[in-house]
Amino acid sequence: MKKHTLVVVAVAVALGMSGCSGTSNVAAGGDSVDSVTIGSIHPLSGSLSGVGGLMNAGAKMAVADINEAGGIESLGGATLVLNEGDSQGKAEIGQSEAQRLISEGAVALIGTYQSDVTQNVASVAERAKVPLVIDVAVDDKILEQGYSYSFRIQPDATSMGASGARSLIAMGEATGTEIDTVAYIHIEGAFGGSVFEAFKTEAEATGITVADEITYSGANFSDATTQVTQALASDPDVIVVTGYFPDNLLIAEAVNALKPDIKAVFGIASGAYDDNSFPAAAGEAASNILSANYHYSATSDRVADIRTRFEAANGESMETASMLSYQAVEVIAAALEESGSVDPEVLRDAISALSLTDPLLEFNGPIEFDENGQNINATVVVMQVQDGAVEQVFPTEIATKEAILPAFSR
Amino acid sequence: MLTTERGRIVLGLFAITVLGIAAVYLFGGKDSNLVTQTVVTGLLLGGVYVLVSLGLTLIFGVLGIVNFAQGAMLAMAMYLVYFMVSSAGINPYLAVVLSAPIMFGFGWLVQSTLMNRLITDVGHSRPLLVTLGLSLLISNTLLMIFGGRPLNVPSPYAGSVQILGAIADVPRIIAFVGAVIVAGGLIVILRKSPLGLAIRAVAANGTGASLVGVNVKRIYAMTFGLGAASVGVAGGLLAPFTSLVPSAGDQFTTLAFVIVVLGGLGSVPGALVGGIFIGLLQTVGSLFLPGSGPLLLVFGMFVLVLFLRPQGLFGANK
Repeated sequence: MKKHTLVVVAVAVALGMSGCSGTSNVAAGGDSVDSVTIGSIHPLSGSLSGVGGLMNAGAKMAVADINEAGGIESLGGATLVLNEGDSQGKAEIGQSEAQRLISEGAVALIGTYQSDVTQNVASVAERAKVPLVIDVAVDDKILEQGYSYSFRIQPDATSMGASGARSLIAMGEATGTEIDTVAYIHIEGAFGGSVFEAFKTEAEATGITVADEITYSGANFSDATTQVTQALASDPDVIVVTGYFPDNLLIAEAVNALKPDIKAVFGIASGAYDDNSFPAAAGEAASNILSANYHYSATSDRVADIRTRFEAANGESMETASMLSYQAVEVIAAALEESGSVDPEVLRDAISALSLTDPLLEFNGPIEFDENGQNINATVVVMQVQDGAVEQVFPTEIATKEAILPAFSR
Repeated sequence: MLTTERGRIVLGLFAITVLGIAAVYLFGGKDSNLVTQTVVTGLLLGGVYVLVSLGLTLIFGVLGIVNFAQGAMLAMAMYLVYFMVSSAGINPYLAVVLSAPIMFGFGWLVQSTLMNRLITDVGHSRPLLVTLGLSLLISNTLLMIFGGRPLNVPSPYAGSVQILGAIADVPRIIAFVGAVIVAGGLIVILRKSPLGLAIRAVAANGTGASLVGVNVKRIYAMTFGLGAASVGVAGGLLAPFTSLVPSAGDQFTTLAFVIVVLGGLGSVPGALVGGIFIGLLQTVGSLFLPGSGPLLLVFGMFVLVLFLRPQGLFGANK
């Protein structure tokens, strides 16, 4: 009995050691690896599979583009490999997928679209000392844990709420539209709540009254007429909206049906109002709706080229979330290039020290991360649906069309 | 005897509703136009709930199958209408009429090939697991074919009308009318037709029905088919004001179960009254409670009804 156990242990140790030495060989001879694996985690099935699939396709395209351009030069032209994980939209599945991808040799992770899933994946990444580059996930809390291996490209909820408020005020001043009171409709939960709080603080500091806050449950929402009617009861100048695609679409439709005497519907971090499928889905109701959100750069030729090729390959328009996945792969590739190493810990330091110019999103400057891992130049721009298309309207230097404000003439 | 009891319940519920709404008008401290809007919206939302509950009350009530595929079947019907409208360019309401028999065939097939094999089961677990599997199969097939991006079915009658100063969306009014028509149709089938007689017999006592010569398996298949056809109509009527994703039906599933149990298993009038009541309660409740609060109200009412009348509002005493 004992002998058998001993043999088993000996074999296991031997196997383990050979495994170890194999990995360290790769790491030590960093300049001559054939391929580098990046793990991606997105909701590829379940109710969010639409956007998850697009994000995965964006990451895949980035990998293909980088490989076609010669791979990672400082690693002897090593090619990137994307190992795809499916979170199914669930935090615990995302967590186990992260563990799987890391054990299968991923040197860095990207993902995951949802805040709760990202939170779990970030803790796995931290423990395994593998960097996670968050493409989309808005909750402030994710980076407030003191993690050193998580990085976020997009702005967080608080900064979106605050800069959304500043943009609205600035646009009002620029167009001579008086905005004194707003009513805010948002989805309940951490996402809607934190954006709202940040907006309220910023808006009230400049003398705007937030007359009413109306929340709704995202799990059961099939008619927004009551919520919009309630918002209108406080006679606001503007209705501000935060939420996901289906509910924000319903709100736009309810506003259109009620035809109220307001100056604008202004989305902040809205899942619908700057989505390219929104104008067609909402028809007349989409007209002139404003949206403050992070957005792919509509003024960059590089982005235009990526989007054209993406649409040709996937038959669907490349939305901002998908562009962020592309960007996340580029961030990792740049750090690999910079460090010349496939050791995840070295890679982390390289990402942390990175300054990536020419970002694919309409940001204030190059992608640079602060000590919490937040991209300091991430910001929102304001878009508006005009003639059935989503146009950038503010700030003016990146505008593709002039803003129409007041948005409605009633 | 039964009719008088039913009459009392309907009258009682009606009185509670009217008194409740009157109280909201008088003491709610809300603008009366706002309350009117809420009542109109609530009635229309009730119509939506009725639609999704009708099919379930047949399948759950008569067959005793906890149909987890209800939401997926609803989504399937929506996509069916979307497919007909986008590929053949036909009127979505004509597509609804066409999708009902297709869904009937689907339901009939599911019951006769899958569920009837489990007919001898004492417990609920196997049929329940089969419907769960079916729901995964349907939603992932929809995902494969149509993708997960939200699609929409344009209604030729998009727009809204004024009712007592409140705005009502025309496609939702059509859905409400559709709900009443489907409920009326089902009541006529169940009460007046030989098939309805057989369904009621099987629901009351399967063994007894088979002893007097009713082909129970065939009746089960017809019932599931009828339930699926109702879901088909529901999906089609909901499609013009729903963002179509493969999980679009799921948000209604829990409430549909609540309404079916509240109204009484297998009771079509129960689903009709229960659906409208829940729609009103949820919408008027949202005037006073934020976020998920109105749902809390709905579930509170549900527990109360179960406590006072475990068989549901229109359920038969057992």
